[in-house]
Amino acid sequence: MVALGLTLIYGVLNQINFAHADFVTVGAFTAFFTATRFATKVLGLPDAGAYLLSMFAALGAGALLGLAVNAAVFAPLRDRGDELRPLIATIGVSVLLENAQLALFGPIPYQFDSPFSRQTLRIGRIFFSGQSLLVVAVSAAAIAALYGFMRFTFLGKALRAVAQDRETAGLMGINPNLLIALTIVIASALAGMAGALLGPVLVLSPFAGASVIVKAFAIVIIGGFGNMQGTILAGILVGVIEAFTVQYLGSGLIDLVVFVMLLVMLALRPTGLIAERKEENV
Amino acid sequence: MIERLTARRAWLGVAVVIVAALPWLLDTSYWRGILVLCAMNVLLALSLNLVIGYTGQLNLGQSAFFGIGAYVSTILIKGYGWNFWLAAVAAVGAAGLLGLALAAFAVRLRGHYLAIASLGFAVITYQVLVNWENVTQGVRGIYGIMPPFSHPAALFYLVAGIAVLVYVLIDNLVRSPVGDTLRAIREDEVSAASLGINRALWKAFAFGVGAAIAGLAGCFYPGFVGTLVPDAFAIVESFTMMAMVIVGGMGTMIGPVVGAIVLTFLPELLRGFGELRLMIYGLALTLVVLFVPGGIVQAWTKLKARIS
Amino acid sequence: MNALLRATCLSKSFGGVRAVQNVSIAVPEKSIFALIGPNGAGKSTLLNLLSGIYQPDAGSLHFEERNLIGLPAHRRVRLGIARTFQKIRLFKQLTLLENVLAGFHIHQDAPFWKYLVYGNAGRFREEARSLLAFVGLEARSGERAGALPYGQQRMLEIARALATRPRLFMLDEPAAGLNAAEVDFLLKRLEQIGRQDITVVVVEHNMDLVMNVAHRVFVMDHGEPLFEGTPREVRHNPAVIAAYLGGEFAP
Repeated sequence: MVALGLTLIYGVLNQINFAHADFVTVGAFTAFFTATRFATKVLGLPDAGAYLLSMFAALGAGALLGLAVNAAVFAPLRDRGDELRPLIATIGVSVLLENAQLALFGPIPYQFDSPFSRQTLRIGRIFFSGQSLLVVAVSAAAIAALYGFMRFTFLGKALRAVAQDRETAGLMGINPNLLIALTIVIASALAGMAGALLGPVLVLSPFAGASVIVKAFAIVIIGGFGNMQGTILAGILVGVIEAFTVQYLGSGLIDLVVFVMLLVMLALRPTGLIAERKEENV
Repeated sequence: MIERLTARRAWLGVAVVIVAALPWLLDTSYWRGILVLCAMNVLLALSLNLVIGYTGQLNLGQSAFFGIGAYVSTILIKGYGWNFWLAAVAAVGAAGLLGLALAAFAVRLRGHYLAIASLGFAVITYQVLVNWENVTQGVRGIYGIMPPFSHPAALFYLVAGIAVLVYVLIDNLVRSPVGDTLRAIREDEVSAASLGINRALWKAFAFGVGAAIAGLAGCFYPGFVGTLVPDAFAIVESFTMMAMVIVGGMGTMIGPVVGAIVLTFLPELLRGFGELRLMIYGLALTLVVLFVPGGIVQAWTKLKARIS
Repeated sequence: MNALLRATCLSKSFGGVRAVQNVSIAVPEKSIFALIGPNGAGKSTLLNLLSGIYQPDAGSLHFEERNLIGLPAHRRVRLGIARTFQKIRLFKQLTLLENVLAGFHIHQDAPFWKYLVYGNAGRFREEARSLLAFVGLEARSGERAGALPYGQQRMLEIARALATRPRLFMLDEPAAGLNAAEVDFLLKRLEQIGRQDITVVVVEHNMDLVMNVAHRVFVMDHGEPLFEGTPREVRHNPAVIAAYLGGEFAP
């Protein structure tokens, strides 16, 4: 169940990033900002309030970092028409971020307790930790809000237009660069918040992001790059499969199973569950 | 043509002399260890460059082949009492075969999809190494591994010698019509096919050979370090290899060598090795991709042009 | 007349769109054969079927009695079929000479170990240079292909394809984007190629361009065959004129 909430948020998040998206960087963001939360806690607010505040801090920090990276790295590379370079640049940034955090915070994991992690709730015969429920709840809310935004607001539609055909959108008076920046900001903010939610659940170290991000990738691929419904669907699917794997095979094999799924998917149907047609014109 | 061949042989001679002299110039066992590491990195960078630089296939999974080479050889030596050299041959073969498996994906996938597939490949391999405890001892690791030669200088000569040999062979290959073929695939697959190039075959070749060389480097690694744990072959190793290739100059022969040397020695020369090593890699990679995509080789060429 | 390439009732659909339907075509040996039709007629698709980029849904295809169905594109090159593309697909980072040298791929027959030990076997450099000279590019052979102006890029593509020493040479809209002088140069080259006993198939949507060069013309419209005949017959055929009306041509 926890996995479900987790994967959902990453699924949606990643796909919003356009063609040459952040990859590992997102994971790095969250790791970074979960650590920030730690610092916030030092303030003398009541526990629940502090945690809430920290979530917002994470969100904001995520947004800021996304903006910065976009300006420094993505924007200058965007129109060079090269697939490889932005991808490598994101790899570089992620390695940089991850190790900067390592240098700042050290490799020993932090214990991050949120006020909810100690509460448990019982539904039927299953015990849920309060934190897990919070994760699911917030993820679901965020996803719903995002979905609504993309579908029903003007900005959301503009974003989708830019995703489909950047030039034409530009011709129609939409400023693509601004929107791309906006998208990255939203995506990064979500990542930051996810980090806040997950901090108590996962072991908190600079490497925490890595394990999550690779799984997020799997979800995006399985669902189909750039496809919201597909990603949501895939997120659910992966979450369920993960839960079963933990149940029957033991938690060590989770990653393995998910990745085998990924490879199978790529071998058979690279465009994902809900494919977006792209014919190559010869 | 004749002059070029003689010039190349001359440079080769110079390189051999330098390599031979190095262990005497850096004669503490610490620095000799770094030299061995450097030679291994050169091999790894060359292997990756063949796939990414010359054939244009986005391969993020090279760490898998490095790991297979290390584990297969070690398990054969420690578990079954094989002789080092035979075990190395087997390990290289295993890595090569695995490379062919990845090539199967490369035939159908392009760009990002291939990148992710190769990443997935590496993750799966890593997970297998971690979880298949009966065979690999998982995270507990395998201890007490002896290198084929215990004297660090001797080990360096072995690895460096192999690196030089591999360099010469690949250099020849790349200057030959094989190089033309690989680069055609890199530049435009569809028109390459229209010239009669069997893409599947040549991609398999590139991946297979690249994987085999990485596996070869892997054979020396456990002996050098003494213990073998899966963490040495995590995904981040793929990224460091990529950093070496790109920072040095992707798609050239000398680029990966320079990149490997620079990125091996740089963290040593700057104080605060350890955590900073990877940070330097990340920073270097990002800066190079942003400003000098052709790496050090390109910067050097531009510099020479400015001077003359 | 010997048909070098013979297609019978070829059909190909994409999704619901019938790009090519029931096309039968026989390309006579050692001729210059034009394939024309208005935009969207399915000419490029047909060319892709002939060269092996697509496999047909139905129909048969033979090259000199050899069945081509199922044979992938790169194998067809070994039989002697070469082509160029509508959208120029050069190896932009390589030099002109390197581009043409790549075209000799199927003729490289040295044993593999020789490449490992000796490196370059420069057998085809001379021939590559003469091909470049044929298209007027020898002086620039050391330059990067991406640096060439558009018209010259087209000619380079032709030189490169000729390196495969084809018996059948197919060009997809080679004149697109060329100015009048370049078109003239192109057409003269095509004639020369034809005189070397290479069968040429040219896909063009501009009728006038090929009329002076082609021996036989096949007209398509909406994926189906419309008419076939000599250039003169085609030019005066009312159905062909009607198909092009609203386009650029006067009868």
